Amino acid sequence: MAAFVLDADDAALEADPGRPARRQDLSGDDQRAFREQGPALMTYRELARMSLVEPLEDMFPILKVLLEKTGAWEACIQAFLDARVVRSPHYRDIAPSFLGWLAETRWGQDRWPFLLELAHAEILEVLVARYPDEESPAGLHAEPGPGDLVVLAGPTQVVSYGHAVHRSRVDSPVPEARPTHLLAFRDPEGDARLMDLTPATAALLRQAQDQPLGAAAEALGFTDLDPVLDLLRGLRRDGAIAGFLPFP
Amino acid sequence: MTQDRFTGVGLGLRRPHLDEVARREEHGVPFWETCPENVVGDGGRQHRLACAILDRDPVLTHGLAMSVGGFDPWDDEYLHGLGAFLLRTGTPWHSEHLCFTSVDASHLHELLPLPFTREAARHTIARARDLQARLPVPLLLENITYYAELGAAEMDEADFITAVLEGADVGWLLDVNNVYVNALNFGFDPKAWLDRMPLDRVAQIHIAGHKRFGDLTVDTHGAEVIDPVIELMQWTLQRLGRPVPVLLERDNHIPDLDRLLAERMRLQEAYDAALAPSGVRHA
Repeated sequence: MAAFVLDADDAALEADPGRPARRQDLSGDDQRAFREQGPALMTYRELARMSLVEPLEDMFPILKVLLEKTGAWEACIQAFLDARVVRSPHYRDIAPSFLGWLAETRWGQDRWPFLLELAHAEILEVLVARYPDEESPAGLHAEPGPGDLVVLAGPTQVVSYGHAVHRSRVDSPVPEARPTHLLAFRDPEGDARLMDLTPATAALLRQAQDQPLGAAAEALGFTDLDPVLDLLRGLRRDGAIAGFLPFP
Repeated sequence: MTQDRFTGVGLGLRRPHLDEVARREEHGVPFWETCPENVVGDGGRQHRLACAILDRDPVLTHGLAMSVGGFDPWDDEYLHGLGAFLLRTGTPWHSEHLCFTSVDASHLHELLPLPFTREAARHTIARARDLQARLPVPLLLENITYYAELGAAEMDEADFITAVLEGADVGWLLDVNNVYVNALNFGFDPKAWLDRMPLDRVAQIHIAGHKRFGDLTVDTHGAEVIDPVIELMQWTLQRLGRPVPVLLERDNHIPDLDRLLAERMRLQEAYDAALAPSGVRHA
């Protein structure tokens, strides 16, 4: 049934709806039942494909426009369906499954080097908004100090792209090639927010998760730690940072 | 199996309405139905709203993706989360569809019909019993719409459903719209069909809208319920002679909350009329 609803070659199935049953070595009676119910079985094909494709159309509208302009959207979707990578019972996971498949296969990225970044940017806010609720780690404090590690909140992502994909729009889907750094986080009300970061701030937020804040800042050329600490206090109030831990 | 606080006509809790439902405690809906797949493991503002409503109001749970008739092993991590969620909501039962939804661990997110064969019935009975043993509340199975028979049938749909419900010894979530749609597509009398069924197992009823596409009628959950389906609900309630909860499903072209509440009220009036001692009996 998976082959019937997901495989390519619509026309061949329409002409020979018994083919999937034959390939599965089902009995002659079963094969006949498939042949005799071709149009109804094609309905399942349409419904199941719609179930899997609609969330992609909803979540990746810019990517869809970009690929449709060159007639590549259908091929992309079919390659994704062929891979059978939707492994989650959660409908909300279909779009992230597509993103994971793009990352793994690098589909289309020879032609569009920004494709994966664009797809990621399109669902970044949703990924952050729907990140599973969880308790913060124990022992965090609210006031940052030079000897502390930064602990990001669970949903927070520090993202660096080679293209300004967060500026892409349906009417201008091709992004400018420009290094872009973003902080995506969930505010205290639970809504997703995006913030542009400088390269140094993005690096600091990454490095200060593993080494003392003061040392990380110094290595990155921050000569005055006070503005850095102010920024981190603000990010904690806004929900991007869960808190701070003394470096062990 | 029906519990006193679950009577009347409830609504499926949907994301577009979460803000408003959370604000309006006096919404008049006796209970909500929620799909655990849409709540378990989720997070953020919408999730918090859903949880606040589910903690405040009576809730029934209805699963979409367990693939009861399939061959894939259970997702133990999901089952663990599901069990905790069912206990948190206080639902008196959990319903799943009598179908399969995944093949070779690939989720199709569509309700696919089981072959009406003795082997498929045996397999599904064993799976349903196993699933029941892993859930903290009784399991109900729901009859689905189907548009084709998968392979050569050894029995008809009514016998297949009866065999599974009785073999697995589980309750029945009777979807009267699905019965009506199947009756249209396969040309049978829905009341005669229901007369053959184990109505003593009905613990809950679903009702919804459908749409005709050419020769085929599809269970879209995207339109208002039509009068013949409401009449079938009333006929069924009278046959049952007890106030099992009815749930109005709306998943597509979801109207604003006030319009949905008005449709719920229309169904509630039909429900009350069917169960009133002097209610009109339908032939």
